[in-house]
Amino acid sequence: MPKEQFIDPNEIRKSGEIKFKPIPVNSYSRTISDEKDNFSKADFMRIFRDMSIIREFESMLNAIKTTGQYNGIEYNHPGPAHLSIGQEASSVGQAYLLDTDDYIFGSHRSHGEILAKGLSAIEKLSDKRLMEIMETYFDGAILKVVQAGQSSVSELAVDFLIYGTLAEIFARETGFHRGLGGSMHAFFTPFGIYPNNAIVGGSADIATGAALYKKVNQKKGIVIANIGDASLGCGPVWEGMCFASMDQFRKLWEGQFKGGLPIIFNFFNNQYGMGGQTIGETMGYGFLARFGAGVNPDQMHSERIDGYNPLAVIDAIRRKKEILAAKKGPVLLDTITYRVSGHSPSDASSYRSKEEIDAWAQQDSLITYRRSLVEHKVSGDGEFEAMLESTKDLITKVFKMAIDDKISPRMDLVGSPRSIEDLMFSNEKIEKMEDREPEVLMPYEENPRVMQIAKKERFAFSEGKPVSKNKLFQLRDAIFEAVAHKFYTDPTLVAYGEENRDWGGAFAVYRGLTEALPYNRLFNSSISEAAIIGTAVGYGMCGGRAIVELMYCDFLGRAGDEVFNQLPKWQAMSAGVLRMPVVVRVSVGSKYGAQHSQDWTSLCAHIPGLKVVFPVTPYDAKGLMNAALAGSDPVIFFESQSLYDKGEEFVETGVPEGYYEIPLGEPDIKKTGSDITILTIGATLYKALEAARILEEKYGMSAEVIDARSIVPFNYEKVVESVRKTGRIVLSSDACERGSQLKDMAQTISELAFDYLDAPPVVVGARNWITPAHEYEKFFFPQPGWIIDAIHQKIVPLKDHVSMQNFTETEQIRLNKAGV
Amino acid sequence: MAVAVIMPRQGNTVESCIITKWHKQKGDSVKQGDMLFTYETDKATFDEEAEVSGKLLEIFFKEGDDVPVLTNMCVIGQDGEDVSEFMPGKTVEKKKDENEKSTEEEKPADMAGHGILETEPETGEAVRISPRARNRAEKQGLDINAAKATGPSGRIIERDIEVLEKTGPAFTKAAAASYDSRAVYTGSGIGGRITAADVKKGAVQINPSAPASAEYEDENVPNIRKVIGKAMQASLATMAQLTINMSFDASSLLRFRTTIKTRGAEMGLPNITLNDMVVYATARTLLKHRDLNAHFSGEVMRRFNTVNMGVAVDTDRGLMVPTLYGCDRMTLPEICERTKEIASMSKAGTINPDLLKGGTFTITNLGTFGVESFTPVINPPQTAILGVCGLTTRAREENGRISTYQSMGLSLTIDHRAVDGAPAARFLKELCVNLENFEAMLLV
Repeated sequence: MPKEQFIDPNEIRKSGEIKFKPIPVNSYSRTISDEKDNFSKADFMRIFRDMSIIREFESMLNAIKTTGQYNGIEYNHPGPAHLSIGQEASSVGQAYLLDTDDYIFGSHRSHGEILAKGLSAIEKLSDKRLMEIMETYFDGAILKVVQAGQSSVSELAVDFLIYGTLAEIFARETGFHRGLGGSMHAFFTPFGIYPNNAIVGGSADIATGAALYKKVNQKKGIVIANIGDASLGCGPVWEGMCFASMDQFRKLWEGQFKGGLPIIFNFFNNQYGMGGQTIGETMGYGFLARFGAGVNPDQMHSERIDGYNPLAVIDAIRRKKEILAAKKGPVLLDTITYRVSGHSPSDASSYRSKEEIDAWAQQDSLITYRRSLVEHKVSGDGEFEAMLESTKDLITKVFKMAIDDKISPRMDLVGSPRSIEDLMFSNEKIEKMEDREPEVLMPYEENPRVMQIAKKERFAFSEGKPVSKNKLFQLRDAIFEAVAHKFYTDPTLVAYGEENRDWGGAFAVYRGLTEALPYNRLFNSSISEAAIIGTAVGYGMCGGRAIVELMYCDFLGRAGDEVFNQLPKWQAMSAGVLRMPVVVRVSVGSKYGAQHSQDWTSLCAHIPGLKVVFPVTPYDAKGLMNAALAGSDPVIFFESQSLYDKGEEFVETGVPEGYYEIPLGEPDIKKTGSDITILTIGATLYKALEAARILEEKYGMSAEVIDARSIVPFNYEKVVESVRKTGRIVLSSDACERGSQLKDMAQTISELAFDYLDAPPVVVGARNWITPAHEYEKFFFPQPGWIIDAIHQKIVPLKDHVSMQNFTETEQIRLNKAGV
Repeated sequence: MAVAVIMPRQGNTVESCIITKWHKQKGDSVKQGDMLFTYETDKATFDEEAEVSGKLLEIFFKEGDDVPVLTNMCVIGQDGEDVSEFMPGKTVEKKKDENEKSTEEEKPADMAGHGILETEPETGEAVRISPRARNRAEKQGLDINAAKATGPSGRIIERDIEVLEKTGPAFTKAAAASYDSRAVYTGSGIGGRITAADVKKGAVQINPSAPASAEYEDENVPNIRKVIGKAMQASLATMAQLTINMSFDASSLLRFRTTIKTRGAEMGLPNITLNDMVVYATARTLLKHRDLNAHFSGEVMRRFNTVNMGVAVDTDRGLMVPTLYGCDRMTLPEICERTKEIASMSKAGTINPDLLKGGTFTITNLGTFGVESFTPVINPPQTAILGVCGLTTRAREENGRISTYQSMGLSLTIDHRAVDGAPAARFLKELCVNLENFEAMLLV
C-alpha cells in the first residue's frame, strides 16, 4: 500500500472496455531451407540425435515396465516411470538455446527435459568445465562408474548424463541424488537442471522463486517452469503466475531491479491430465494460451507454439529470451505436444481412440523432422539409421551399467543405517549466503525503530515493579532485532509475505524495516500463501536466504503442498546437494475465532524435514530467530499474537543488545520445582506459571515449569531429568489435544521415564472444537485451573481441591467416542 | 453385615493357592482371630484367621481345591444373611458412581472426590501402582500390598509408599482398632498386614519415640563391595561357623622382632613383622591338622598336602585375599617379602586375579587396630580361617611372684560341618605353643 500510488475513484469508476491483443497460435512457418542460415548440418543432426536419445531412453523404460526386459536383458523396475514419448521435439527445442545459467524446473514427466537440457549444456561447456563438474560431483563417484573407453570428454559427459539419470531412476546410490529423488524428482543443477516435481504444477511457484533469486541477486539466465496443461487447474500455478507478474516489479522496484521476473511458464500441452482430457472435458480454455491474457496487460506474451517441430520451439525460446532480457517477463508458452505413452506404463489408454493415437503417430516428430531434413537434403536416410543404431548401443551400454549391482549399488542402509537420516537436515551454520555488501538504505543505528528501541527497558521488571508497556522492550522488538541484524549481514536475505512493508507487518514486527530496505529486499506479496512458500523454496534452493510470513498460522493450509511436500523434502531428495535456508514466520492468533486462532505446530512437527520452534519470551525469540536465520534448514517459526507486547520476565539481565543464538531443540526450565513438571508449548507457558503459583500457595506442591521452545528438534534429556525428580508431568499447549505434539511428547516421556513416573503423563490441550469467539476462549484454551484439575484427577488427588473440569476416564472415553 | 474372606495373595507371582485344611465348618461360630483355614503355595504354608466375629455362613471351596488368589473363600455374618452376592464368579453389581456424571460448566464437577482418597484395590484386579511407587517400594523392600492407595482410581502412588516407609506396614481393619501406635508388631496377615491376632500376641518392641530421620548420602556400591558382600553372605549362610579364641605369650615373638629391628638390616634380613611370624608358624603347624587345610563341599573333603596361605589385605576398594603358594615350604624372609609384594599389588589394584585364588587356609589380621578377639568369616570352600588379634599386657603368677607379659590373641573360625571343636582347639593350642617358642620353631 505505497502512498505514492493514488487510487483515483474517477479512474476506477470510468466506463470503457478492456482490449486484448490477438494471441499467436502456431505462428512458426519456416521450412528447413529457410533455416539453413541459422543452423548448420551438425546443428540439425544434433537436434535429431538428442531427440532420438530421449526416444530410446524412454522406450527402454517402457520395455522394462511392460515386458520386464530391454534388448533381451531382464530387469525389474518397481518404481514409477512417467514417459515423454512423443514429446521429444518440445524438450529438445526448448533446451537448444539454454545454457547452464538458465534453470529449468520440471514435472513428474521430465526425463526428456533432463536429457535435452543436459545434452545442450554438454554441447556448450568446455571440456575443462565438464571434467570439473564430473570430477567434483559427489567426489567423482558417478564419473568413476562411467569413465571407460570414451573418445572425447563430451562423449564421456553424455554417458555421465544418461547414466546419472538412469541410476537415479533405478534408485542406485550412483544416481544424481543417490537414488533418493528417483524418476519424478531427478535433476542435475550443474547443468541448470533444477528439481522436477511429482506434484502436478509444483514447479510453477518454485521456479518463480528461482526467478526472484536471479532478479534480487542479479544472476544471469532465465528460469523455465515446465508444467503440464492439466496443472493449469492447480491453484499454486495461478498463484505463481500472479506473483511473477506483480506490478511492483515494474512500478516500485528501482534501478537494476526494476522490471519483470525472468521466467517462462511453459505448459507442455500434451492434451491429458491422467485420463482426463483438458480440452473438451476437464478445462474450459479452448486454447491454453488464452490464460496469459487474463494475468497482466502484456498478456504474459502468451502464445501457442508447435511442440512437434523442434525448430518452432527454438524460435519461440529465442524470441521469449529477448523479452525476458528486456525485463518484460513473465512469459506463458502453450507448447503443443502429445502424450503417446499414456500417463504411465499401466495406462491402457481406455480414454482415447486408436485413430487418435495413430493420427499423432503419423506426425511423430522423429519421423516428420527426419523426413524434412531428407527432403531438404540436409542428410540421407543412411546417416539417420546409423545414428539410431549408435543411440541404441549407447542406451544399452548405460542400461547395463545402471542395473549392475556391483558398480551401481543401492544405498547400504544395513551397514550405514543413518544414510538417509543424515540427509534430512543439513545442519550447517552459514552467516551469509554470499559474501558481498548487503544493500541497505541507512546505517543500522540511524533507523528510527532502532533508536526507539534503544530507550526501552530490556527486562520486564524494574526494582520489582513491572515496566510500563510503552517503555518495555517487547517480543516484537526482539524478533525485529534478529531479522534486522541478518538484513545487515546476509546480502541475499529477502523478506516478504502478506503484509511486510509500510505497515510493518500486521503485528508491527517489521516496523522500521521499510525505511532501511529497498523493495527488492522487503516487499508485500500477493495474498498467495502457496506462492509465498513456494517461491521461498525456489529462492532457497538456488542459494539465497528467505524469511517469509503467512500472518496467521491458520493459513498454512493454503500452502499445504509447499509446506508439507516441497520445503521439507528437497534437501534429502537431493541427497544433500541443495540447501533450504528458509524461515517461515507464522503467528498463532487470538480473539479472531475458528479460522484465525489455531496452533498448528503439531501438523508441522509431523512432517519430516521441517524444524519447528515456538518461542514465547523476548530472549528466546531473538536467540531462536538468530539461530534459525543462521542455519541452512527450513524452520517454521511460530509466534503468538497474544504475546507480541510481552517483555522479558525470566532473564534478569534483560535481552542482550548484541547478537546471540539459542540452539534449536533445547527446552528451557522457566521455573524450578520438585513435585510436578509442567511442560508447555507456546503461550500456555504463562498459564502454566499461574497454575504453578496456585499449586504452591494452595496445595504446597512445587511445580517445575519447562518451556519446550522448540518442537523439532527436541532434546528430551532435560525433561526426563525433571520427571525423574518429580515423578509427574502435565503437558499443555493451545493446540487441539487430539493428535497433538503434546500426545507425542507424552508418549515419548512414558517410554523414557516409565520407571520414574508416579502417574501417566497427562495432556491438557485445547478442546477438539472450532476455536470460538474471544468471549468463549476460556472454555476452549487450557486455563490454569484445568491444569490443576487434571493433576487432581489423574495424577495426585489434592487435598480439599474442588474440580471445575472433568478429566475422568469415563469422560475421556465419551469424548473420543463422540470424536470431539 | 456379612463379609467375605478372600484367598490372600502371597506375593505378586502367586496366582492360586491350595487349601490344606478348614479349621471351621459351615455353621460354626467364629471369633475374631480364630484360625479359619490353612493354605499353601509351592513354597510355603499359611494360616488365615478371622478378622471379624460371627457365624461361618458359607464355604465356597473344599480342602484340596486350588483357588485363585483374591477369590472369595467363605462368608462370615449373622444367621439369615444372604451370601449369594459373594459367590465366586458372580459379577457384583456395583453402585453407579454418581460422581461420574458429567456436570455443567462452572459447577463443581466432583468426579474424583475431595482430597485424599483411600481406596483398596478392587477384588480380582491386579494392584494398581505407579511405576515410580513400585520402584521405590522394591528399593525399600516394602510390600506394596501393605500400602494404602491414595492415587486416582485407587492407584498406589509414590506418596503412599513414602507413608509406608514412615509408618510401617498396614493393619487390618480389625487390628486397627486396638494397636499401640508406639509398638512394633510382626505382621502375619495379607501382604504383611498386622492382624488382630498379631496385636494380641503383643508387641515385639516398644519404641519410646520414633527415630528422627537421619541425614544420609547415597552412593552406588562398587562391584568389589558387591562381590565381597555376596561372598560373605554366602559364607555365613551356607556354613556352620564356629569361632574359638585363645591367647599365647608373645615374648618369644617380640624378642625375635626386636632382634630383627636392631640387627636385621645388617644381617640382610627384611623387616619381618609379627604377622609374618604368625603366618610362618601357622603354615608349619597346619600340615599336622589337615582337616583345617582343606576344602569342604558338603560331599567331599579335600585335604591339601601343601599350604596355600590366603592373606587378607585391607585395600581402598575393600578386602582382598591374595595367596602365598607353598607357604609351608617358604622361609620366613621369603614369606615376609612375598607378603609385602602381593599386599602392595592388591592395594594398587594391579594384582593378577589368579593370585587371588587357590587358598587352602586364610589368615586375617586386625591386631594393629587393637582388636582383642573377633569372628573371622571363612573364605569358602576353605574349612577355617585364623584371625590375628592385638597385643595385650597380662599378668601371671609364677613362683609367688606377679609378673606381666605381652599376650597375643588368636581367633579361629572353623566350618563345623567339616571339623569339630576339639580338633580345632588342638590345632590352636599347638599353634600357640609353637608361637611361644618361636625361636625354636625357626629350626623346623
